[in-house]
Amino acid sequence: MKMENPALVELDGAAGEGGGQILRSALTLAMITGRPFVIRRIRAGRARPGLLRQHLTAVQAAAAICAAQVEGAELGSTQLRFDPGAVRAGNYRFAIGSAGSAALVLQTVLPALWLAGAASCVSVSGGTHNQSAPPFEFLAQAWTPLLARMGVKQTLSLLRHGFYPAGGGEIIAHVEPVAGLQGISLLERGPLQDMHAEALVAGVPYKVALRELESVLAAFPAAGQTVIELPMEQGPGNALLLRVVHEVGCEVFCGFGERGVSAERIANGVVQAARRYLASPAVVDAHLADQLLLPMALAGAGEFTATEASAHLLSNKAVIEAFLPVSIALSQCQAAVHVRVCASG
Amino acid sequence: MKRTVVFGFVGTVLDYVGKGSERWEKWRPTVGLCQQADLLIDTLVLLHDERNRGLFSRMQRDIAQISPNTEVISHEINLRDPWDFEEVYAALHDLASAYAFDTEHEDYLLHITTGTHVAQICWFLLAESRHFPARLVQTSPPIKRLGQGPEGRVSIIDLDLSRYDKIATRFAHERDASLSLLKSGIATLNPSFNRMIEQIERVAARSKAPMLLCGPTGAGKSFLARRVFELKRARHQLTGRFVEVNCATLRGDAAMSALFGHAKGAFTGAQTERAGLLRSADGGLLFLDEIGELGADEQAMLLKAIEEKRFFPLGSDREVESDFQLIAGTVRDLRAMVASGEFREDLYARINLWSYTLPGLAERPEDLAPNLDYELERFAREHGEQVRFNREARERFLRFATSSQARWRGNFRELGAAVTRMATLADSGRIGIDEVDEEITRLQAGWQDDQTDTLRELLGDAAGTLDLFDRMQLEQVIKVCRECRTLSEAGRRLFDVSRQEKSSSNDADRLRKYLARFGLDWASLQGRD
Repeated sequence: MKMENPALVELDGAAGEGGGQILRSALTLAMITGRPFVIRRIRAGRARPGLLRQHLTAVQAAAAICAAQVEGAELGSTQLRFDPGAVRAGNYRFAIGSAGSAALVLQTVLPALWLAGAASCVSVSGGTHNQSAPPFEFLAQAWTPLLARMGVKQTLSLLRHGFYPAGGGEIIAHVEPVAGLQGISLLERGPLQDMHAEALVAGVPYKVALRELESVLAAFPAAGQTVIELPMEQGPGNALLLRVVHEVGCEVFCGFGERGVSAERIANGVVQAARRYLASPAVVDAHLADQLLLPMALAGAGEFTATEASAHLLSNKAVIEAFLPVSIALSQCQAAVHVRVCASG
Repeated sequence: MKRTVVFGFVGTVLDYVGKGSERWEKWRPTVGLCQQADLLIDTLVLLHDERNRGLFSRMQRDIAQISPNTEVISHEINLRDPWDFEEVYAALHDLASAYAFDTEHEDYLLHITTGTHVAQICWFLLAESRHFPARLVQTSPPIKRLGQGPEGRVSIIDLDLSRYDKIATRFAHERDASLSLLKSGIATLNPSFNRMIEQIERVAARSKAPMLLCGPTGAGKSFLARRVFELKRARHQLTGRFVEVNCATLRGDAAMSALFGHAKGAFTGAQTERAGLLRSADGGLLFLDEIGELGADEQAMLLKAIEEKRFFPLGSDREVESDFQLIAGTVRDLRAMVASGEFREDLYARINLWSYTLPGLAERPEDLAPNLDYELERFAREHGEQVRFNREARERFLRFATSSQARWRGNFRELGAAVTRMATLADSGRIGIDEVDEEITRLQAGWQDDQTDTLRELLGDAAGTLDLFDRMQLEQVIKVCRECRTLSEAGRRLFDVSRQEKSSSNDADRLRKYLARFGLDWASLQGRD
């Protein structure tokens, strides 16, 4: 009932992308704006509806940072109410095990600490290189530099790798507070400056890394290459990361080794993703587009071109517009999607 | 939110997949249990022995890494033989007894995938008996085809079967069918009768102990005994035959021989060996009706046969074996017979464990209508002819049959006879008002005759000189006397209340004096039998 509490935001968890993204974006925005929210029909269309452990982990981390009152934070719960308190900067440690990814937890809580008035240090231990979550390198090399141009002061460091299923990795984020963010315009990539492939192996034969790199090289002969052999006990794990650097910034494409899937197939997936991006005039790929929307909304201005208007992007847009007085306009611009954020009202 | 606490064994086979990093790619039930996206375990109590401390510590470390919020506790038990049912059950039972369960704040699961099969069975039994207020949790290996990771799958099984609609419905159907069988498909309405049948169903399913059916003649004792037999046979609890005998028909040596059999040449005329009823009932059910009529020797033999499942046939020095379910029936009050020394106390104690009193038809007026339908069906079955009441006739008959006028002294047998008569006399398969009226007259006359005849036969014309008050009292006294074996027994029954106030009661004398007032004595009453 909006009449009772005009600040309450009501969300439909099954709308749009219908997964954990809506919940994570809502948590971040509630922390920043102080507005409570209720989300219903959480993951209603999924095989296992309701909150899973990884979602609970994000809720608990967010609640810890802003001393929130939470109702319905239970496994399988399809409804959650989150009443945030004031965000408190400081030192936090979250041990999430293999239930979810460190990157997703950091993306949820860090924006609240950017403007928190004091320095923070957040350590998240668990999976750092998991399927269906951005790897550490994406956060550090693609996301953080663009945020820096908007005024965000954060540095990320990887203390230990954590692969699925063993986990055991750790990322530490340091945040210096800033007064506000500035909008930026990312409409031109500029010239391609560098391509570099990195193959990580832990407890997996070295030649797997070599075969992955060979496949990348076959597609992009100019790309640099590195094999990083991690200690056996951090494994088993294998990831292939391809960094594509233009004048405007960096994109990171990744693939993860899996039992029963050949090194060539993994490399091929990464190559295809990079090719699609390179063939597009857009500045950012789908994943980075998702993550730029929120800081631009906080700045109250900004624009970029993205390879596509993904379901995640559209869900994010809807949640952001529900919390913040901004409007986000999407328009097709040649083969890319032009996204423009501006203050509304 | 309740905390989740899991008990389980360290799987010395399944959880042990080596120490190298490749262990993470293998399915380990206990580790996988802690890695489920939709199950969060707060406390995991892992049972293991001394030799597996190392494996426990490694698992504890691995679980800390993948599920940092799970507290893993070691519970060391040293089983001499983990395949020994008694030992494992005792160990787990001890664990349950010692654990401070807090079901208000904690939710308990028993992990059944690890441990021996014996452990699995014990977990099941302890959960089923609620020694562990827990549900069972089963882990299973990943289905690779479906892209499941090494953590595999988990399913939680709640033994509270009422939660499983399909199974519960099936059990309910089975039970309904059993009850219906015991009631011969008659939808009886009398609550105390139905309660009794429900208990008999449960006892029949779970116990092999003898049953005792008391009640007036025609109340359906023999009928019920046969139904119990059919129920037990349908459940594969009995394989043998149904053997029925009315003990009142057995007398002397013939009684011994009929019950326990005899060897060839055991007595004059015993030209061949005879198995006897007890041996014929081996593996089946023996229904001894009117058990109070058995002589002292037969009672003694029967007791031995029930207790030891073996006995000596007449004239044989070789014991034979027979294992049968016994149901005894009686019209007489066996307790009083024990008190007067006519029935063995030890035999009574043996057969009195499950004792049921079948009410007569007059005490179950609400069951008249369903029994009437049953009798019509039975007639149709036996005579191949459908007979129905017309509506008015049926109402009139039921009104009479459930009124206080209807004494139903012969109970269900008498109702059956009434229906047979009406159905036979009915034209074109319809029982009308006329047939009903005739039958009512017939029944009333029968009950009337019964009384006047008794007094007239004993007192002659003098019966006509008695007040109705005296006639009614005397009729009932004579009825009791004829149900009893001795004057003393009858006296005890008739003066059952007042005798307790007297320090030395002479009930027999009181009764003798009462009878003498009408010129009657004990011998003259028994003479008619």
